[in-house]
Amino acid sequence: MTGNRDKDMAHDLSSPSGVKFGHTELPPKQVDVLRKAIRLEWITIGFLAITVTLVALVLGNSQAMKAAWIEDLLSFIPPVAFLIAVRVNRRAPTLKHPYGYHRSVGVGHLVSAVALTTMGTYLIIDSATGLIKAEHPTIGTVVLFGQTVWLGWLMIGVMAAIALPPVLIGRAKMDLAKQLHNKLLYADADMNKADWMTAVGSIVGVAGIGLGVWWLDSAAALFIAGSILYDGVRNLKAAILDLMDERATTFDDKKPHPVSGEVEKYLRSLSWVADAGCRVRDEGHVFHIEAFLVPIDDKMPSLDTLERTREACIDIDWKVQDIVLVLVPELPDVVGSKSGGTHG
Amino acid sequence: MGGMLLVVILSGCGLNVPADPDGTLDSVRGGTLQVGISPNGEFTVVGDDDTYSGSEVALIEGFAEELGADIEWTVGSEETLVRGLEDDRIDVVIAGLTDATPWVEKTGVTRPYREATADDRSTQKLVMLVPIGENAFISELETFLSEAAGESE
Repeated sequence: MTGNRDKDMAHDLSSPSGVKFGHTELPPKQVDVLRKAIRLEWITIGFLAITVTLVALVLGNSQAMKAAWIEDLLSFIPPVAFLIAVRVNRRAPTLKHPYGYHRSVGVGHLVSAVALTTMGTYLIIDSATGLIKAEHPTIGTVVLFGQTVWLGWLMIGVMAAIALPPVLIGRAKMDLAKQLHNKLLYADADMNKADWMTAVGSIVGVAGIGLGVWWLDSAAALFIAGSILYDGVRNLKAAILDLMDERATTFDDKKPHPVSGEVEKYLRSLSWVADAGCRVRDEGHVFHIEAFLVPIDDKMPSLDTLERTREACIDIDWKVQDIVLVLVPELPDVVGSKSGGTHG
Repeated sequence: MGGMLLVVILSGCGLNVPADPDGTLDSVRGGTLQVGISPNGEFTVVGDDDTYSGSEVALIEGFAEELGADIEWTVGSEETLVRGLEDDRIDVVIAGLTDATPWVEKTGVTRPYREATADDRSTQKLVMLVPIGENAFISELETFLSEAAGESE
């Protein structure tokens, strides 16, 4: 965590002691990951700007192209939300915001999800209407370098050219999302990874128009709209569950996060502790933990012991941002215990 | 890349791309071109004894000749002619229309083939209307119009 590293960051990270998320100082590895993620998101935005312009130039009357273009426009939201969120959550907690600003990630996640869900629904209705009313899309010609060319060929060319890069960017971001424990970045990466299907879908739609199979265009648009809605609903669920303080899970929401278990295991191993359980909130990158401890024979530990225990817990993982130790005669129902832990 | 491959595959199969879902171009070629005409200044002039003249009439006669088609004329208001396009009774509408035409939802509007200066000295881009989604036909007409416009300049 050197001064040089700070200067390399795309944003002003001028804290003298290093890069912080609220109170949490990021380990060097995560600083590096964060820097890469920020750079990749800027690359994504640059690529999207080119994509949106190119597609707009050849848009024509194809419903599938329209759906693909709207998806590209929507793809701006997650990277922008991510860049804003990682800026906001660097602020230190204050009296007014005692938990810090970590939830900015969750808010960004929710905003992205709502936008996807809304546009997905709109496009499904729009495309289905076109299909039912049997609207035949008209695509004529353009003059390119003195040649008259059917615009459909340009559409297919553009979509083929932009199909692959997002997949590669998405794969790179996926890896970073895991290391940074950032679900917004994960959602973004996941959408990028599936972007080639949109491109292929619109190519099929335009090729359909070319062959005189007019309904293939609306059908392809429905497919693309369906994938947007699917992304939206899935992310909506994940974002809401996180904001509702669901127990901390891994970045892909597949299983409970191992850090909760590690903290519990450590606490239970202490000589003065009979049993221990944790309640963990996922604040975005970092966790806020309430640890309930049952002392052996109701014997109170010294303040010094408590403070050392707290610091040891924070040292277990950088994500343990804030931990509160509570001494109780018996564990509350909502946390795992030695005998039957709820944490995997 | 993928697009190029598709070009090769499709043209290799002897398919015509783009194609008309309703086969307008096939029915016109060597047959009859149903022209809807609505009088509009120097572009489309309808005479007393079924004579038609004007710049767009000349263009469409050239187009029919290229396709080896006879012309059958229908005179009417724009709305009547657009309904004719929708009902498959008319193949092309000429009425000195511009690219600002509100019929874009119901018809296929060609790429502007020429610019003209209107009475208020504004520049207007001239277009013609064809049945919606008949992409081989519209491509054929656009290609003809851009070549014809090129020759006249």
